[in-house]
Amino acid sequence: MISLLTIVIGFSVIVFFPTFSDAQSASKTFVTHSGAVVQTSGEILDPLYTVSTVDFDPMEYLRDFNYGDISQLSDGTTVREFTIIAEDDKIMEVSPGVFYNVWTFNGTVPGPTIRATEGDLLKIKFINNGSKEHTMHFHGIHPAGMDGVFEPVGGNGGQFVYEFEAGPVGVHPYHCHVMPLEEHIVHGLYGVFIVDPKEKRPPADEMVMVLNGLDTDFDTENNFYAANTIPFYYQHHPIQIDTDELIRVYVVNMVEFDPINNFHLHGNLYKYYPTGTDLVPSFYTDMITLSQTERGIMEFQYDFPGKYLFHAHKVEFSEKGWVGIFLVSDSIEKSVQEIDYGTK
Amino acid sequence: MELSDNTSKGKIIASGVIPFIFIILMMAYIFGPGADLLDFGVLLPEVTIEKIDFLDSEIQATVRNTGPIPVEVVMADVNDRIQPAAVEPDRFLERFETTLVRIPFEWNEAEPYTIGITVEDGTRFEKEVEAAAPALELSLDLAIFFAIIGTYVGIIPVMIGLLWLPFIKKISKQKYHFFLALTAGLLLFLAIDSIEEAVEVSDENLASSFNGTLLVATVTVLSFLGLYYAGNKLVDRANSSKFTKPVAIALMISIGIGLHNFGEGLAIGAAVGMGSIAFSTFLIIGFALHNTTEGLAIAAPMSRGKLMIGKLVAMGIIAGSPAIFGAWIGGFVYSPFTSVIFFGIGAGAIFQVIVVILKWIYDENDQKLSTMAVVSGFAVGMLVMYLTSILV
Repeated sequence: MISLLTIVIGFSVIVFFPTFSDAQSASKTFVTHSGAVVQTSGEILDPLYTVSTVDFDPMEYLRDFNYGDISQLSDGTTVREFTIIAEDDKIMEVSPGVFYNVWTFNGTVPGPTIRATEGDLLKIKFINNGSKEHTMHFHGIHPAGMDGVFEPVGGNGGQFVYEFEAGPVGVHPYHCHVMPLEEHIVHGLYGVFIVDPKEKRPPADEMVMVLNGLDTDFDTENNFYAANTIPFYYQHHPIQIDTDELIRVYVVNMVEFDPINNFHLHGNLYKYYPTGTDLVPSFYTDMITLSQTERGIMEFQYDFPGKYLFHAHKVEFSEKGWVGIFLVSDSIEKSVQEIDYGTK
Repeated sequence: MELSDNTSKGKIIASGVIPFIFIILMMAYIFGPGADLLDFGVLLPEVTIEKIDFLDSEIQATVRNTGPIPVEVVMADVNDRIQPAAVEPDRFLERFETTLVRIPFEWNEAEPYTIGITVEDGTRFEKEVEAAAPALELSLDLAIFFAIIGTYVGIIPVMIGLLWLPFIKKISKQKYHFFLALTAGLLLFLAIDSIEEAVEVSDENLASSFNGTLLVATVTVLSFLGLYYAGNKLVDRANSSKFTKPVAIALMISIGIGLHNFGEGLAIGAAVGMGSIAFSTFLIIGFALHNTTEGLAIAAPMSRGKLMIGKLVAMGIIAGSPAIFGAWIGGFVYSPFTSVIFFGIGAGAIFQVIVVILKWIYDENDQKLSTMAVVSGFAVGMLVMYLTSILV
């Protein structure tokens, strides 16, 4: 009887012991979704609110437009030359602590935003430094041989020059078109191609948002969603804009696996130009639905300062990172006319 | 003569040691110059969520590294929605190390939840809970509640079973053998039941790296061997001390049944702890009916000695009271690993008792086990247990 009791008590102590042993070290605090402050003696796993340094800076990408090296043909046509290098061996920290093999154009996901005016001649020198075959396939109008589908570019330094006239006006994606296509896209081989109309759009604070997802465990379901790759980034690094200033967002949906994505703006509505091909808006709304590679231009301005969310109203996506904040400040003196835009 | 004896001893030792030297050489080669040989394949991280507790505004997951390499826990989610969380003591897990992930979350009672843990390479692991229920907090009331349940399930039914003693005392030798064999049948059923339970718990909660079924087999066999050895010592000593052989056998049966009842207590405590209250009510009634037969098992060998009420009551308590301890541990600090171990020990203990009983019948029954009384008793024992088990 006594020995049995001893055994039972002994085992209870073994089972209990871990509970006692973690009272130690200085405690840290973090804030939950609902605002509660929680203390812990351990470490914090917080992909949402802590400021973390990331390899890729979505804030820099947001307003970064590449106009290429510019020259003129004898007939006055503007020629824009770009060099795009593909790689497929980079391991990037995509969310705090999560490392994922990204395939990149010029080292980033998304690749650089390529911008031209309708009618410009584009010469895009493509170098494939990856280990697999890759291409660049632009959405838009171009000859069959420039389509980046039947001309795979070999890895380890293979080259190809894509040459075509910029058009039509609008916002388009470009992406690798090598099979298996889904794999090449979801690893990050895509970017945005903007064709401005010759008569120019009105001046505005312009930005690019690529809506994308990351399937880090390869189960054909996205583990993360984001505007510009890094989950929750614009939530803890709000995008600063001014009241009464025209904001123009070039939005491109590159999410795979899920059939749709969407974009909801708080405290405001926007004019929406599907694919950006028309200069007259089709909708005035706070919610658009986007299928794969569906894209468009959104224009809006805020009357009141403050913090405004923008996010997928497919809330699953926003709870996995596709959510951000516009921080609107009162700025009466700043003139929108000063903002440089268009050709360099 | 002595010299040659020494050399032959030396030869024996050498022949025993030489294979070890080769094993060491082989290991040294694999880890040293032959390391490239093993450098194939990709080692994938793996964690297992062993336990999920629902506390006030918080969900806690106990996560164990069950893969071949160290891992880092980097993210937690509830129903596949990313949540800020804390990890205590830290997020780095060596092989088999555990950590506690605390996820602040306003959960709703009785709703299902899936808890996900993502490691540094982006792989997500999950565990589902069918219905959230508040984790039991250690309190005197609850401890008393479990003690009452344990008494009801363990001690009382066993005591009731012991009341068959006067009946067994009066019957003929043949009928007595029938009842002994019946006891063996009952116990065999309990042993199989314990093993089934252990395998089930390990399948559902333990990572494959624990080799659940083999763990159960190993623990059962070790428990059997240990108790068999200790039991034989006890019986040997019984011949020369105040213990009579029937008392020694009854004591072994009590200990075996006690270990089994400890496992039953764990199951009940865990069922209450996981919030399946209706299920545990069923479990309690079922176990209570079921366990009266265990009293019979203790009474049968005792009936051939003097009537010793004190010893009988003590054995009833040895057999029944572990249910209380089991319920406490199952309810307050349930761990699937410990419950697998206990079920395994219980099964081994019971097998040991079966062997002892059969041996006793064999000796008493003119070196025969194939009489009608023994065979039918064994069969009826299994059947009775099966029929009462349907109630559980």
